[in-house]
Amino acid sequence: MARSLVLAIAIAALAWATSVCAQAPARPSPAPAAAAPARDLAGVWMIRNPAGMRGYAGATFTKEEPEMTPWAQAKYKEARNSNGGQYDLETTNDPVLTKCYPPGTPRVYFHPYPFEFISTPKYLLMIFEYDHMMRRIYTDGRPVPQDPDPSWMGNSVGRWENNTTFVVETVGFNEKTWIDRLGHPHSTELHVTERFRRTDRDHLQIDFIIQDPKALLKPWTSTFYAELRPEWELGEISCSGDYLEFKTFEK
Amino acid sequence: MNFDTLSVEWDNTLPQEEPTLMNVLRRTLPILVVSIAAVFSASGLVFAHHGAAAFITDQTVTVKGTVTELVYMNPHVQVYWESKNDKGVSEKWQGELTAPNKLTRAGWTKRTLKPGDQITVSGNPNKNSPHTIYIRKLIGPDGNSLPLFED
Repeated sequence: MARSLVLAIAIAALAWATSVCAQAPARPSPAPAAAAPARDLAGVWMIRNPAGMRGYAGATFTKEEPEMTPWAQAKYKEARNSNGGQYDLETTNDPVLTKCYPPGTPRVYFHPYPFEFISTPKYLLMIFEYDHMMRRIYTDGRPVPQDPDPSWMGNSVGRWENNTTFVVETVGFNEKTWIDRLGHPHSTELHVTERFRRTDRDHLQIDFIIQDPKALLKPWTSTFYAELRPEWELGEISCSGDYLEFKTFEK
Repeated sequence: MNFDTLSVEWDNTLPQEEPTLMNVLRRTLPILVVSIAAVFSASGLVFAHHGAAAFITDQTVTVKGTVTELVYMNPHVQVYWESKNDKGVSEKWQGELTAPNKLTRAGWTKRTLKPGDQITVSGNPNKNSPHTIYIRKLIGPDGNSLPLFED
């Protein structure tokens, strides 16, 4: 009985302490964010995912495996990715690292370099610092192409869903790239939907829907986050020559 | 600051305060200090294009020396310097930094280090080439730690 009483008092004390802590003044909140401009993504952006995603989001879209078809599972088993730390060019078959293949869409988001949107009357250009990758996203009202030629980064069509949400559909891929850094495969039937939501002037939320009937049993979805970097300019990152040859680093 | 554990270059944004012991030892240089830094091994470091397999990520080497060359080029910036070992013999060293773009955004130019500059470098040694390190901290000629990471 006495023990129960002590326990009850301890629990009550803990609850009180917790509530006091919860009421402790937080750090001063930052100034309210500036509103997003209407129908405008122009500028340099950098992926900055929240801490809770950092265990996986440098390499893949979700903590859980996507649901893959047997075809994709077999290909995935062959992938020797470049993550986990213990690899060199002899032990990975990552096509970007070993062959300088373009990373493709959406894997390009796993290169830790900024990207820039440049607006033109008929299309939005999306330029990635990594290896000068470029995507032309048509905004002239054309439909998503029905039978596009294969490409690395895909054929993209975009439209403004509202003043701050830009939706991009991308199709027409070859099969040579991975969906992510872990080596999840895709086929030429890959269809990527990106919903760019500019939640305020400085923040972009990118919702991904990755579909591929040959590779995925159901759409693979995720959300990444990017921040505006008004002071930054894209520079050069060229995947060529020395990039692949580690021995040149040991001069 | 990023502390991603899986991706390659993300991990280059891993600033660590040097242990106090090293700060003391640094003043007694030239000397070579090898210490186990558990914080590095816990971070799951991976390096661009050539994995952490190339570097001993749970060891940190600190070396003081004189810059001979700064190669400010894609894909990764390289610093070359000479350091006297404990017998007073001069040895050549090489250290790797992140991409020049990222250093530029951190405030660097190709002239941030020049031949003759006195530097103190800490980082992870290469497994095959003990005088090659991946630089985690670099104290410049004015005694201040140089920023190695963009925001």
